[in-house]
Amino acid sequence: MLAIETRQLTKDYEIKKDRKKIYLRAVDNVNLQIKESEIYCLLGPNGAGKTSTSRLLTAILRPSIGGARILGLDVVEDASEVRSKVGLLTETPALYERLTVRQNLNFIAQLYSIPKEDINPRIEEIVDLFDLTEKIDLSAGSLSKGMRQKVSIARAMIHDPPVLFLDEPTASLAPESAKIVREQIMKLAKTKKRTFFICTHNLFEAERLATRVGIINRGKIISQGSPAELRELKKDETSTIFRFSSWSDIIKNYFQEGDYEILEIDPEKKSISIFISDIENETPQIIEKLINQKFPMFEVRHEYPTLERVYLELVESENQPVVKEEVE
Amino acid sequence: MNFKRVWALTRKDLREFMKSKYVMSAIIGIPLLFAVLFPFATLMPMTKINPADFEGGDFGVFVENLFSKTVKGWDDLDNYGKAMVLMAYIMFVSVLLLPIIIPAVTASESVVGEKERKTIEAILASPITESEIVAAKILSSLLPSFLGTAVAAVGYMVIADVILWNSIGIIIFPDFLSIVFVLIFGPLFSIISVELMIMVSTKVKSVRDSYQVGSLIVLPLILLIAAEMFSFFFASYATLFGGVAGMVVIIIILFKIATKIFDREKMITKMT
Repeated sequence: MLAIETRQLTKDYEIKKDRKKIYLRAVDNVNLQIKESEIYCLLGPNGAGKTSTSRLLTAILRPSIGGARILGLDVVEDASEVRSKVGLLTETPALYERLTVRQNLNFIAQLYSIPKEDINPRIEEIVDLFDLTEKIDLSAGSLSKGMRQKVSIARAMIHDPPVLFLDEPTASLAPESAKIVREQIMKLAKTKKRTFFICTHNLFEAERLATRVGIINRGKIISQGSPAELRELKKDETSTIFRFSSWSDIIKNYFQEGDYEILEIDPEKKSISIFISDIENETPQIIEKLINQKFPMFEVRHEYPTLERVYLELVESENQPVVKEEVE
Repeated sequence: MNFKRVWALTRKDLREFMKSKYVMSAIIGIPLLFAVLFPFATLMPMTKINPADFEGGDFGVFVENLFSKTVKGWDDLDNYGKAMVLMAYIMFVSVLLLPIIIPAVTASESVVGEKERKTIEAILASPITESEIVAAKILSSLLPSFLGTAVAAVGYMVIADVILWNSIGIIIFPDFLSIVFVLIFGPLFSIISVELMIMVSTKVKSVRDSYQVGSLIVLPLILLIAAEMFSFFFASYATLFGGVAGMVVIIIILFKIATKIFDREKMITKMT
């Protein structure tokens, strides 16, 4: 069974501007199929539709067109059941600051109808998981930003939901805490078959965590696949760099006169960067020729396009939402 | 309706109220002010007036008819005594504004405050239904309102009785009227007040806006209190229970409207 499935999922917001009703399309014809235990990262600039997509899939918002299913349950028809099966980490920690960490978690546990006798053991387990045991009886307002974020993640996981929606989970976390969170996400996906839908700007995180990445811009999924598949989209931008221990114009002339597609010559770094269309077969031949020329070459490496480069090239710079229609 | 979830949300709100100086000052401070300041500021100065100054006039047929039905021994009182009793009742009606004032503060904090601080999203993402949220918010505002009104009413009645006993030798509180108003009408007014505040909450973004709009919206409730008071003075138990039934109907209708208006999508989209 698919954990998350959307069909032409679309969301229009009605707003008033100059006494006219305007419909802003926040999510536009999104089709997703996410299997159980997948970690799906949704990347996109601010206002691209990431949070709206999460809210649609957690049955907080209703789709304007199309629909979505979570573990086979319709987000409109079976909204209450959907909510009981998902956990949501909101964009801001938004804890009850006057209440303690325990009271915050206890309250949410009760909303998810966790049996009374199971609540405290579950709270102890989850605070231990995120290294919060010492802070459990402190008010949430007295915690640091990073601690609050961890409490907020613990809150989203308190009822051990099969599907988790996390909005910027490691934002404001120190590197060691971010690592703990990433490890927990991977562990839960692997051992407990939990599915994660993560909205993030953090390309480093997406590259390390995601089994699949979706890139959303102006409400539309413009590309999706595994990080490797997305990098493959720009494979023609892979460059091969040769570095030499000493530099002379002979090297430069050799490359310029040869049949090479030169990308960059950097005499200061004593390096030359070229494009090779068939990396596997052509690279050994080039190396052999350079050795025969007795050039003082000490390093050869391929520079593959990063996910960041793929993302930045795919996302259009303009982020204005689309005006669908205007009604008097 | 899942009452465990309703109680969980109510209890969470009450805990938050207890830790908020602002809300606690409204729940404790305002009732104390009503209980202590009103009798001391109105009845006490009257004890210093010479009773002879009240002789010679009359209170008119309207007041005489009204109070002869309600206050035991009214006809035996002289004009000074009647003036004291009249003032004691007028100020007691002011205490009955508390079931409107306290929920205006607590409901604003618990409904619009959740929106303002964005804590509402975690609630909206949970399986709790809209009607459960509305019921919980009514309950969490009703309890402090009931408690505050009861404390203020008891305090006011004790102080007023002491002053009346010392000056004219009678005790008028608690009487049937005061008990009915504190135990029945007070809570009913509180519920209506909270329901109106919940409706307001979907339209405003900040607690401050909520106070401003809410204070305008609950104004008609003061007229309702006055209407109930007069109908009770003039008429019978049938009118009283008719009034209660009418308010229950209003509460049910407002609950349906509030639940419909308290829409997850509207709460979220108006939040940001």
